[in-house]
Amino acid sequence: MTFSFGLGLRTQHYHDFIDAPQPVDWLEVISENYMVDGGKPLAMLDKIRANYPMVMHGVSMSIGSLNGVDKEYLKKLKALEQRIQPMWMSDHLCWTGVHGRNLHDLLPLPFSSEALQVVKRNVEQVQDYLQRPLVLENVSSYVEFKDSEMTEWEFLTEVCQATGCKLLLDINNIYVSAFNHGFSATDFIEGVPLNSVAQFHLAGHQNNGVHIIDTHDHPVCDDVWTLYRKALLRFGYIPTMIERDDNIPALNELLLELDQARAIADEVLNTKVAV
Amino acid sequence: MNLSELQTDFQNILLDAKCRNADWVAEPQQNLSSQQRLTIYHNAYRIRLIDTLYDTFEHTANYLGGEWFDKLAASYVQNFPSSHANLGQYGKGFSEHLAQQLPNDLEVAELAHMDWTLRRAFDGADATALTQQDLQQLVATGAEFSHFQPVPTLSLSTQQFNTLDIWHAINQEKVPPIAERLAQPVTILMWRKGHSPHFRSLSAIETTAINYLRQGQGLEAIGEALNQDYPETDIVAEFGGMIARWLDDELLTR
Repeated sequence: MTFSFGLGLRTQHYHDFIDAPQPVDWLEVISENYMVDGGKPLAMLDKIRANYPMVMHGVSMSIGSLNGVDKEYLKKLKALEQRIQPMWMSDHLCWTGVHGRNLHDLLPLPFSSEALQVVKRNVEQVQDYLQRPLVLENVSSYVEFKDSEMTEWEFLTEVCQATGCKLLLDINNIYVSAFNHGFSATDFIEGVPLNSVAQFHLAGHQNNGVHIIDTHDHPVCDDVWTLYRKALLRFGYIPTMIERDDNIPALNELLLELDQARAIADEVLNTKVAV
Repeated sequence: MNLSELQTDFQNILLDAKCRNADWVAEPQQNLSSQQRLTIYHNAYRIRLIDTLYDTFEHTANYLGGEWFDKLAASYVQNFPSSHANLGQYGKGFSEHLAQQLPNDLEVAELAHMDWTLRRAFDGADATALTQQDLQQLVATGAEFSHFQPVPTLSLSTQQFNTLDIWHAINQEKVPPIAERLAQPVTILMWRKGHSPHFRSLSAIETTAINYLRQGQGLEAIGEALNQDYPETDIVAEFGGMIARWLDDELLTR
């Protein structure tokens, strides 16, 4: 993986990407948006894919479900993977529902040895099926569990070391969870193994004073940029993306934010070399 | 508590109408209580699904207004949890729910059924539509006409009310007409042409013809059947016009 900068593909920007070349190295697509039978979503995807490398990012794999990952879901996911040949495929370290329900949320897991065994088993099954390493993203959370026996970064480390999967570090999510639970975001960054990170997400949130809601509908805030600097210092050249899920602005606005990420990365990594 | 019990209880908390506390949540060291933290998930679940219904049932929401739609959407979300991996698929039973909740305003359910069907046509299966040129080539080669099919997004539904007029008024940002039961039910054809969902009302004879087409009958057989069903009609002219329109509308595939 090379050092590069991407954006999440959103329907509002289809024509920006079709009509003219845009200064992004790759695009991340929400897998489920294109796990459909046909029509405009897949037609636009194919058109844009012709000019941009892509990565796939899912929200419904439910890697933490005790029941295991749904085989029908995996079948559709693989069909999409074969269609667009992504550079890598990610989903979240979470669960989204049990007993046939989908709560359409990225629900946190207890960091327990039982959950660890479930996630390791599920990751291995998914990787066997997809025949490629899975990339797992840390989620923002609002609750912690009495049953947790380790920190989130220790849990992630165990999963990576046991399965060979990679991590998508969402710098905003680290910040949000650290704020909500009172742990050190720096400890998280420093606790993740050096060779395990495949991608960074940068995003915004809504700070309600006593807690933060992960909305992904604001520009990246100063504190998250500061944390990004720390992540760059630790992990170096990691593909980075601005992720906006709601309140989607004009593409130019996101490109300016991506330029900010580029400038910070240049500054931090040049400084690192100079030191 | 094992993981199975925890996930089941967590899910039950989110699905229950009222958010309750849970003894498996670690006592927070700062700010919000554990129940307030669970309430964030409880609220987010409802907001996300109701937003999805707003997105899919745009005309219905516009017709009902926010307050009424919110209540009906909330009752649907409470009674019908999602089982779809793709959030966009949520809402399949919403029009039936509206019919049950508003038995004296059934145009609302018809409007919702249109919203849903057109949304499904939007990302429904692709098919290569037959063109006038394709047909002319087939005629020239003397090929059989028995292998045409309707495109996979084609669907028919029956409306008892002036729902189409209501739809058009909403689209034109005009005040919708008062709902009225029609003297005769009307059949509505919905499908995707190019990338865009389309709809139009059908005459009785075109409804019959499309039903024959959906049953797998070839064009020649459909013409013969229409001759028997409508002996007073000039079927050659009528059906010829229909086929031309079907081709223009991209309704046929091979």
